[in-house]
Amino acid sequence: MKLAAIRPVSLMLARELGITALLLFGVSVVVFAILYLAPGDPLNVLLEGQSPRSELALGMREALGIPRTWYGQYAAWFGKMLQGNFGNSIRTGLPVLPELARVGVYTLTLTLGSLALTLLIAVPIAVHAAAHGDTAGNTAATIVAYVLSAVPVFWFGYIVVYVFIHTFSMFPLISGTAAKQEHAWLYFLVPIFVLGVASGTLSEMIRHLREELSRVLAEDYIRTARAKGAAVWRHAFKEGFLIPVTEIMSAKIPFLLGGAVIVEQVFNWPGMGRMAWQAAQDRDFPVIMGIALVAAAFVRLGNLLQRVVFTAVNPRASRE
Amino acid sequence: MKHNYQSRSEERMKRILTIALLGAATALCIPAHAAPKGDGRPDGGVLNYSEYGRPATLDPITSNETISLRITELVFNGLVGIDEKQEIVPELAERWEASKDGRVYTFFLRKDVKWHPREGDAPQPFTADDVVFTYNIMMHPKTITPLKVRYEFIEKVEKTGDYTVVITLKRPILNALAKFSFKIIPRHGPANPQYLTREDRFARSPIGTGPYMLQTVTGDGEVVLVANPDYFKGRAHIDKFVARPFADQNIMAQALMFNAIDMIVLVNPRNLPEVQGDKRFVLQPYNALSYSFFGYNVRNPLLADRRVRQAITAAVNRQEMLDSFFNGQGTVISGPFAPGSWAYNLDVKPLPFGPERARALLIEAGFKPGGDGIMEKDGKKLALSLKVPIEKESEAVKRVVLAFQNYLKGAGIAIAVEFKEWQAWKEDVFLEHNFDIMFASWVFDDSADISSLFHSAEIGDWKNNFGGYSNPEVDGLIVESKLTLDHEKRRTINRKLHAILAEEQPYTFLWTLTNYSAYHRKLRRVQIHPYKFFSFADEWFIPASEQK
Repeated sequence: MKLAAIRPVSLMLARELGITALLLFGVSVVVFAILYLAPGDPLNVLLEGQSPRSELALGMREALGIPRTWYGQYAAWFGKMLQGNFGNSIRTGLPVLPELARVGVYTLTLTLGSLALTLLIAVPIAVHAAAHGDTAGNTAATIVAYVLSAVPVFWFGYIVVYVFIHTFSMFPLISGTAAKQEHAWLYFLVPIFVLGVASGTLSEMIRHLREELSRVLAEDYIRTARAKGAAVWRHAFKEGFLIPVTEIMSAKIPFLLGGAVIVEQVFNWPGMGRMAWQAAQDRDFPVIMGIALVAAAFVRLGNLLQRVVFTAVNPRASRE
Repeated sequence: MKHNYQSRSEERMKRILTIALLGAATALCIPAHAAPKGDGRPDGGVLNYSEYGRPATLDPITSNETISLRITELVFNGLVGIDEKQEIVPELAERWEASKDGRVYTFFLRKDVKWHPREGDAPQPFTADDVVFTYNIMMHPKTITPLKVRYEFIEKVEKTGDYTVVITLKRPILNALAKFSFKIIPRHGPANPQYLTREDRFARSPIGTGPYMLQTVTGDGEVVLVANPDYFKGRAHIDKFVARPFADQNIMAQALMFNAIDMIVLVNPRNLPEVQGDKRFVLQPYNALSYSFFGYNVRNPLLADRRVRQAITAAVNRQEMLDSFFNGQGTVISGPFAPGSWAYNLDVKPLPFGPERARALLIEAGFKPGGDGIMEKDGKKLALSLKVPIEKESEAVKRVVLAFQNYLKGAGIAIAVEFKEWQAWKEDVFLEHNFDIMFASWVFDDSADISSLFHSAEIGDWKNNFGGYSNPEVDGLIVESKLTLDHEKRRTINRKLHAILAEEQPYTFLWTLTNYSAYHRKLRRVQIHPYKFFSFADEWFIPASEQK
């Protein structure tokens, strides 16, 4: 990063971080309100197995020191959260933050791994198409990529599992097992492959990157560079590659997280998606709040990264 | 409470708390022997079994679902236990005496029992203090446990010696002994000695006296248990039990086929044919003491007429549904008691399928067919709402509900089906009573106590008589059955109750499904307890040649 870019980037960052804090606060209020308004009481989960009588639940609420009003509950949660305490899961009693960190690593591996794979496939196709126009090879590759993107990820997951079991006689379902597994590393890659290929990101990445790159390659300054005999790719890299790639990546993070929930179910992957699924069923609100905040922060982080790149490449943009 | 509405298949299956008592209890003392069992059967091997979901907690007090129940069955013991013939046998108590009035029970405890050691510590002995401690922590107001309501009949639990405990009841009750099978936890177990919450370390790393000790819980809730070398009944044969969580039942069946696991505790009916056709596996049926039903809200004047309820039951072909949607794996039932329990009246036959009779009953009740084929009375259409909770694996349920709707259309009854999310469904049915018909299942223990289902005092918010059914004769019989201390007399009363409720049809009683466990043939001597499942697992073994 050039020195000139540091000031606008840090200005922008300060502003964006402030917005992020507000955004996370907003997310927490909205999620809490929805949880509160949704039917069902998380404490009923604890009472499951005996009749959930209201007087019993009330007594329990008092015993546990849970405020009666919704704003009391929110304030209690918020106060603790500011001290870095996200509370304990109602279902398992485990503290939310370490649990989130534990499963978050798995989800991060899955999403970032699949993102890397998507890039690995999309970039060569898009660059080739932008540089050489439509050829038989890259048209075929693009069609395949589009078809894969259109396939529902859960279905593709099952197909992959089926193929592994019946064709390769392998059982690609890791579950954080303590047992020694053969090909464990391979099984680890299968869900990443499925999400990377079928999450629907692939086709858009190819299209976006190809369009942007073609547009930039046709710009006057590139023509000048070409005329001068300078390296065209070096000139086109920032605007034609870096910006569109970060743009599409940050735009696709929410979809990847959504896809991860499904892939984690199919592949028994011990990540945040499965945790969210379970928590939603149990109305386990400390866990749901934690996951919502982490997911929001993750999405925001992607956005921010994109802004940083954009501002660094084009410092004037920060003044607009 | 003895009943639980169970609807979201396996994971939601609630725990059931007392146990069948058949025949008299015998105070037979098993001599203490150190490890190994010395029965000539080989030790060793690992059993990987699959669970559909992950356990919430692993202690026997805060846990309230079947996955945890199965694990606590391996880790803990009660004062008394149940053998394969459903008889009470000594466990932590080697013998006991009951006072003449049936109010005071004195338990003499084994002196050779040790708690599983915590890492780095020597194992501590089990004493009377632990029993008193368990009772006190269970009844503490801040301990949230489904056990509390089950043990309200106990007045106090006292220690009269290091190995003697006296339990005094508020009133004598039938089958009291069977209720003392609750699991004992160590006084030095929980970090908080006053009350137990799910946040206590003990809830996830418990120590007990049972045949298996908790070794680890992996990141994904895979629970690893190892044989307790000092188990007082002799070391269990199989070295290790591993409970592996799955998020998908089809994948679970695939995992069995692929030898990634050795046992499925409850096979999804849809996967049964696949497993059945494979010679490597054994399918073992076990009774679940549960049944499914359509329940009626008799607050609706249309349903208050018994003939309408009878007509609905006559209009649906229950056997056909059972055969088509569950591969015939179950039995159609006639009444309110758990099939397979002693209270169930086999002389009462399920109402036969009879669409003509259904029509006749409706006409008798004053209905006439309307222009669109739907029955009418005083210009009011016989149109009802049906609320069904959405289940995780709901295909079979969906088919049942749609078939029900179809059968009733033929009989001139319009049903509007509404699928609702579990918690929302519970509020509609048990709190708002905003439904005409509901679909659910009950899971029972063997106390055969249906008072909370049909007694009129149980009508109200969150109470189990959700349909508002009220019948003085039924109320009287329920109370009589509860008060009697004579098993035979109680049986007679329950048979009468069964007959009345079969006639009255506050529910359309559907069927009880047969549960199947599937396991690899290498496992031998497998006996399964209906809902605790692993009660006899210390006797299971794997021949040395197949231990790999």
